[in-house]
Amino acid sequence: MQKFKKYFLFIFLGILYGNNMNLRPTFLVLNHFDRKLSTADAALKENFTNSIFEFDSTFYLLFDNIDEYENPASSYMNTIKDLGEKHKVNFVLFNQIKHDDDRFMLEGQMFNTRSGGLIYRRKIDLTNYLNGQINELNLWVGNVTGNIEKEWQKNRESILFKNPENIVQEKTPLGAAMRSLIFPGWGQAYSGKKVSPRVWAGTESALSLAVLFNFLKYEEATKNYLANLKLYNETDDEKEVERFRNQAESDWDEHKMFSELAIAFAGATGTGWVANSIHAWIVGPRSFKNLYQKWDPQLPDTTG
Amino acid sequence: MKFQRGHVIILLIWLVIESCTLQKKDFDNPVDFIANEEKGIGAPTLVFYPKTQSKTIADSILVGAFIVFKEDSMESFSGIHLQIEFPNSFLELDTITPGLFITDTLKSTPLFTYTFDGTNTVDIFAYFLDTLKTDLLGTGHIADLVFNPIGTGSDSIRYNLSVCEMIDQDDAIIELKGDRGAEVIIQ
Repeated sequence: MQKFKKYFLFIFLGILYGNNMNLRPTFLVLNHFDRKLSTADAALKENFTNSIFEFDSTFYLLFDNIDEYENPASSYMNTIKDLGEKHKVNFVLFNQIKHDDDRFMLEGQMFNTRSGGLIYRRKIDLTNYLNGQINELNLWVGNVTGNIEKEWQKNRESILFKNPENIVQEKTPLGAAMRSLIFPGWGQAYSGKKVSPRVWAGTESALSLAVLFNFLKYEEATKNYLANLKLYNETDDEKEVERFRNQAESDWDEHKMFSELAIAFAGATGTGWVANSIHAWIVGPRSFKNLYQKWDPQLPDTTG
Repeated sequence: MKFQRGHVIILLIWLVIESCTLQKKDFDNPVDFIANEEKGIGAPTLVFYPKTQSKTIADSILVGAFIVFKEDSMESFSGIHLQIEFPNSFLELDTITPGLFITDTLKSTPLFTYTFDGTNTVDIFAYFLDTLKTDLLGTGHIADLVFNPIGTGSDSIRYNLSVCEMIDQDDAIIELKGDRGAEVIIQ
């Protein structure tokens, strides 16, 4: 029976408060924005029809440095009471928005004009997002008035990290590996590395040049060998036979040496090429699973 | 840009494949005693130069007869007898001339003569009868044989080593360790 009484009282007050416009809470809104937000006042009126708003931006300086007081909640009691009497409002809302690069800070303070005390406060520092200031203002006032729309919450979630399975990585380790397979160092550069792309590109270029150099020397020695072999075969003078044979043998040894060098350097180039691709994959761009905040460790004071 | 990179990779692969090709070390001049040794033919050796030749029926065939010693050989010879057999089915003997080795000494002209049996065998004799220049040392050109083709075919001109002889100034026989024939192709 007691439960039924409370239930009917709640329904009755709800209907009374909801239907009777005179019982809607009234707010004096003191907005202070470092950038112009022309739609802020209209948005509050439009989104919170269960409340009545008055706007006055002449008092913001009073509430700017509330934390400097010993008791911030009761620092402006008389002022708030005076404002309440003057504007005939139940509450004073002080909203301040400051921007810092791609972030903005919203500080909201809610004072009760009956007591003059600070009854609610919100301080939020966020990455800027589309219509973020108005949305955060809606969320703050909605929280105060008990009327938060899901759309505002969804809007704010746009700045939160997505679920890992929904994240489409623009850069991947495989992409880095494939790029390095095409040109050494490209994958590392693609991953934002500064030094390793130069090291890989330089090393592979040097090895490739060594392959080319040794191949050209091999070609030259081969031509000389074939030329001297031809001269050797075409003479019946034993002195020339000996001379051309010695030259041809020397050329043959050279062509063998440069062949082996070219193959060795080619092997090193190929191995390095693959290693460079694997390295690109290892250092490739990945999403971090753990986020750490840098901090400066301070040694404990042991001086006594 | 991708096209160029593809070319670079193809070029590198081609360089590697090309570099893998080693030329055959093929020294086979009959006048080269090392080449003969590599074929298991010891020195002194009787050889023909060139070792092979391909001619038409309108051409004449010149074959040089050589004696090949080791480079550091101290053996000298004063007389030599070569017996040469040729395929008379498609070759006929035209001329035999002394080689530079035994005619270019200036101070001493050796006795150079030959006999032909009218079929396919030629015997060449060369002697040093001088009192000052009595012998020769080292590899050299003994004689040139010129043949005329009378038909087409392929065969070898060869020494009959069992009959060939080389002597020093004391008339002692110098052993001939081997011989190499010459292949003649008439097309």
